[in-house]
Parts: sequence; C-alpha cells; structure tokens
Amino acid sequence: MKIIIRIVLLAALAALGIWLWTVLFPSPEKVIRRRLTELARTVSSSANESDLTRLAVARSVAGFFAADVELNVDLPELGQRTMDHVEITQLALMGRSRAGGLQVKFPDINITVAPDKQSAMADLTVEANISGEHDSVVREMKFTLRKTDGQWLITRIETVRTLT
Amino acid sequence: MAQNQAGQSDAGWKQPRMPRWLSIVVMGCNPKATLARVAVLIVTCFIVFKFILLPIRVEGISMLPTYKDRSVNFVNRLAYVWHEPQRGDVVSIRLAGPHVMYLKRIIGLPGETVAFVDGRVLINGEVLDEPYEKTPCDWNCPPVKLGPDEYFVVGDNRTMPSDNHVFGKAGRDRIVGKALL
Repeated sequence: MKIIIRIVLLAALAALGIWLWTVLFPSPEKVIRRRLTELARTVSSSANESDLTRLAVARSVAGFFAADVELNVDLPELGQRTMDHVEITQLALMGRSRAGGLQVKFPDINITVAPDKQSAMADLTVEANISGEHDSVVREMKFTLRKTDGQWLITRIETVRTLT
Repeated sequence: MAQNQAGQSDAGWKQPRMPRWLSIVVMGCNPKATLARVAVLIVTCFIVFKFILLPIRVEGISMLPTYKDRSVNFVNRLAYVWHEPQRGDVVSIRLAGPHVMYLKRIIGLPGETVAFVDGRVLINGEVLDEPYEKTPCDWNCPPVKLGPDEYFVVGDNRTMPSDNHVFGKAGRDRIVGKALL
C-alpha cells in the first residue's frame, strides 16, 4: 500500500513539475497564441470610447507590430504596402473611430514555428463584428512573426483566399 | 459532538430523504446502472458531436432559400470517407480551422470548366440544371478551369450581387463534410 501511495505521490509531483515548467517556460506556440488573442482583445472596441482611450489603445496596437510591417490584404484602402508604427497607430485610430463598436476574435489559430524558434507563421481566421451590422466579417489571414528582443512581433500580414 | 450552524445538536437529526417516486424518476430503479448509462451517453455525445457530426449555426443569407440565417445544422465529417463530394452537395469549407466555416453548394467537379453567363451556370459549356435555384439572377463570370483536386462552390442565394458573395474554387482538403439536414 505504501508503495502505491509513493507512486501516486511521485506521479502527482511529476505532473506538478511539468505544469510548473510549462507555466514558467511556455512554448513559443503558446506565447504567440496568447499574444494574438491579446491583439484581438486590444483591437476590439466599445461604441462609447473617449478620444484619449482611443489614442492610447491605438498606440498599444502598434506595439504588436515590428517597425516595418508588410501588408498584403484585400481591403481597398490598404492593399499591398509597408507600414510603420505611426501609420499603424493612425490606421487603428481611424478604424476605431469609424466603427462604432468592434469585436474581433481569432477563433482558429494554427501556428508553425521555424526550427530556429526566431520566426513563426500563424494561419488564423479573423471574425469581426461591427456593431449595427447584421453579418460578421470573416477572413482567413496569415501572420508572419519574428522574435525581437524577446517579444514576438508581427512583420507581415496577408489575406489568404479560401475560395480562389 | 458536532454542532450545525444553528447551534443545534446533530443527534437525532434525520437526513431528508427524497420521496421514493422522485428518486425512481430521477435515478431509476437501479441508480448505478443509470449513472453508467449517463456516463456512456456523455462520452457518446462528446465523440459524435466533436468528431462526426459538427453542430453549426448558419449565419448570413448566402444560402437562402435552402438555409435560413441563424438556422442550426450539422456537418457530417464522415460523408466523404468512402466517396468523393458530388455535384449539388452542400458542404462546409474550412478557413483556418473548424470554428468558422463557409456553407456552400458544389456545382463544379475536378477537371471541369465553370462559368456564369446571364445567371446561368455553364459546366464545360453546357447549362447546369439547378432545381434549388428559385429566383433568377444576372451573374456573369469568366470560365474557370478546375484542377484535379478542386471543386467550384457557390451559395444558393444568387439574388445578391456577385461581388458580395463568396464563391469560387475550393481545394478538396478544405471540404470538412456535408450538411446533414
């Protein structure tokens, strides 16, 4: 009986150790997933936001991106171009003021980390609900991320054409 | 002696018992067997609705009049295990994953050429009979040649402008399953 208790305790200790390890040293996939979820939450906005809040949030959105971000998206005002932090802040600000309220979600995120663990690709579904509009906007997108100073920053965004 | 919160002694305290008829209604005559049945039911439901029949809610009007906005349906993931998708099948097309999918009808099969001329679908130059299409439309799209693993999918609601409608070629690997209802 004593042996069984010891084995059970040992297994519980091992499980606790593994759990602690994953909490203290999360895998790049987990970090990227958390970061993208945070980006979706940050981009989302409520209808009655003050200008100051809007500006602060728009600036924090830029923090998710690298200094130069390559865009290749199927939005008429964006298209194919490169943007810096100032332009991203302006874009986020414009988006927040134009949409009364916006809820962004990434319901499916598939992450592939490069063998050197310094870059990664995230294939995800973007679901945006604009308040007042009946249908949500759904797009499949591919984000390229690079690890810079310990942080995963988005370097490229492109729209994936699900139906060509 | 243990004291309960009201400060009364537990001695002589009787555990309230469920009336027998209620206990039979809730747990059956054999509670152990009932619990086992419930456990089996939960596991079966989990397996069925997670891996075989995906419950979905249709959002949007692109499949009207066949599927109304906010209607509930299921996607049969095993539908194409033994045979390939057929023309006329309503299938779900995955984006990055299975949480958000398109629900579309297959009108073109691998190797075929699909075109829209004045609202009529032409498959390899011949008009496709579409009994599910109830309203006329005026779509025009140039011919599209499908590859060996590609299907042409489109919604049933062609009364909306083609620019607002998501349709086109879908790879076989994107087809998750067939709509059940």
